[in-house]
Amino acid sequence: MVEHARNGAVEHYEDRIVAAFTFCSIVWAIAGMAAGVYAAAELVWPELNFGLPWLSFGRLRTGHTNLVLFGFGVSALIGTSLYSVQRTSHVRLLAPKLAWFVFYAWQLTIVLGAWSLLAGWNGGKEYAELEWPFDIAIAVIWIAYAVVFFGTIARRKVAPIYISNWFYGALIIVVAMLHIVNNLALPATLSKSYSLFPGAQDAIVQWWYGHNAVGFLLTGGFLGMLYYFLPKQAEQPIWSYRLSIVAFWAFVYSYIWAGPHHLHYNAIPEWVQSLGVIMSLVLLAPSWATMINGVMTVSNAWRKLQTDPALKFIVLALAFYGLATFEGPMMAIRSVNVMSHFTEWTIGHVHSGALGWNALITFGTFYYLVPRLAGRPLHSTVLANAHFWLALAGIMLYVLSMWAAGLSQSLLWLSLDDLGEVRYSFVEVMEAMAPYYLLRLVGGVLFLAGTVLMAVNLRLTFAGARTVAVSAPALVPAHAAAFSAAGGTP
Amino acid sequence: MIAQRPPLLRFGAVLVAPEAAIASIAADPPSGARAFFGAAVWLGLLPPLFAAIGTMTFGWRLGVEPLFLPAGTVVAIGAAYFVLLLFGFLSTAVVARWMASTYGADASWSRSFALVTLVGAPLAIGSVVHLYPNAFVNVLVLVPTLIWSMYLLYRGLPAVMKTDPGRGMLMASSLIAYLLVSWVTLLGITAVLWSRGVGPHVAT
Repeated sequence: MVEHARNGAVEHYEDRIVAAFTFCSIVWAIAGMAAGVYAAAELVWPELNFGLPWLSFGRLRTGHTNLVLFGFGVSALIGTSLYSVQRTSHVRLLAPKLAWFVFYAWQLTIVLGAWSLLAGWNGGKEYAELEWPFDIAIAVIWIAYAVVFFGTIARRKVAPIYISNWFYGALIIVVAMLHIVNNLALPATLSKSYSLFPGAQDAIVQWWYGHNAVGFLLTGGFLGMLYYFLPKQAEQPIWSYRLSIVAFWAFVYSYIWAGPHHLHYNAIPEWVQSLGVIMSLVLLAPSWATMINGVMTVSNAWRKLQTDPALKFIVLALAFYGLATFEGPMMAIRSVNVMSHFTEWTIGHVHSGALGWNALITFGTFYYLVPRLAGRPLHSTVLANAHFWLALAGIMLYVLSMWAAGLSQSLLWLSLDDLGEVRYSFVEVMEAMAPYYLLRLVGGVLFLAGTVLMAVNLRLTFAGARTVAVSAPALVPAHAAAFSAAGGTP
Repeated sequence: MIAQRPPLLRFGAVLVAPEAAIASIAADPPSGARAFFGAAVWLGLLPPLFAAIGTMTFGWRLGVEPLFLPAGTVVAIGAAYFVLLLFGFLSTAVVARWMASTYGADASWSRSFALVTLVGAPLAIGSVVHLYPNAFVNVLVLVPTLIWSMYLLYRGLPAVMKTDPGRGMLMASSLIAYLLVSWVTLLGITAVLWSRGVGPHVAT
């Protein structure tokens, strides 16, 4: 039910916050990717840091990862989860003011957090570099987000909790747990704290966090996005709802154990490493079950591909999801890891997932979402198609150059001379990598250019528009009866 | 008349006139055997041949110093490369044929062989860069070639496999997923072999 006039009598979905998160996510995508491109350029021309600490690679790279992960990715996840939870629950958000607190506080945290990282504040844990004042702020904001999300589900007017909400819910619960435990630290000053966990235990906790941030945020959270927006966009139900539920529980159970594969050949017990390998391999089953479910869902919606550029992004995202979720378990195998670890192969793997899966599924979702929020068609299909090809070319250039660089790097590092000494110095290997870094830079520029095209296209789509007011449709009789039978009041 | 041309010329035409080549092959694809023995095998010979000549002449260069291998090793690696390419060709054609029923395409051997030959032709010819086996130079040439091949896959699949463009786009994406996973599997197998002492000597 769509109404263009707002009046107090009808309860409308709170969609303005969805639009706000969406456009902030796009801004952070551009800022974060631009930081990544600049950092990539510094690896080719180190003098680009101009001797300024704020522009040094170490700080800029951390700024890049935090902006794209938490600015672009999490803003997109919160925005889309708030959009879908209202529609799958048939109610307005619980506590919209609290939701707006989440929005403003999160954006402020991103701005100040990025500033702190460039200023050199750094907790020293990858993907958890923000120092303790930010850690506390994030925990508070996240709990507020949980209250809004789960509170909305608690008020729902339909009995089942749709599968996308299970994935978004797992994201909220597990990320809260990971974030709080991994950041337990003793503050020394405002800008420096020390982890409560000593030595190897700290490493295990860090990669329990790190890998499950990949699992529950970059995989689970975005699967929530997929499970809501793919069927909506394809105008088809999920191919197998039962498979989605089975895959969810298998995914949740197996992912949480996989972290130690980041610590092969390190000072942690070998059985812990082996457990990480086994659970990483098991993980392939639920990951691919979801991919098959997505591919089969969209295979019935091919007619829409003629008119809907957004669906292309989602289809390609599924291909890269399949690649990344296969490559990850494979790289967890010790005899592969000995070659791939600490090389550019890992960077290529991360970006086949981050660009190919996370970014493309988000772009596809935004191309679906913004025209509906604005109540008008997409400004330019031509621009969206150009974005698709720029993104695909950028990803391929990036990933293939990093695969080649990683294998070369690995062979050079593992080459020994007749005395059993390392044959090539670190600097020699870095010099040999420079051409690949240049190629990666070109790939990054292409991908960023595509993102800018999307930003312009979506901005023009929304220009001068107000968010369309939408209220919950009447319940179909079967749902109303089921809800009443479960003790609810439709 | 075009259909009477040797398959190698018909597929090679994709480099100069892709639209015409796709239309010609879609209208009258050669039989599976003609596509395989008349084009794919010859195209598949090019990369190992160029790589062998380049390796013996200039040595493999990862960016530091050239690596020269004994002639016997080069021939063995070249032969393995050729067998692997043929396996990749056949397995991709089998997968394309298998997918065809899902995407409403023509599941004949002739069309799936034609598709893989068409898409692989630029890469096979681009492998001329193997004559100078510097890893970066090869990446520089072959990555854009690969992107061009992917474009041909999206563009050519609906016509060659006789399906709707929308379904063709889905099938092309599924094939890309298969090819990416195959490629990564190859990387993984290579890493396992190397780390177990088969191939270049590396410390583990």
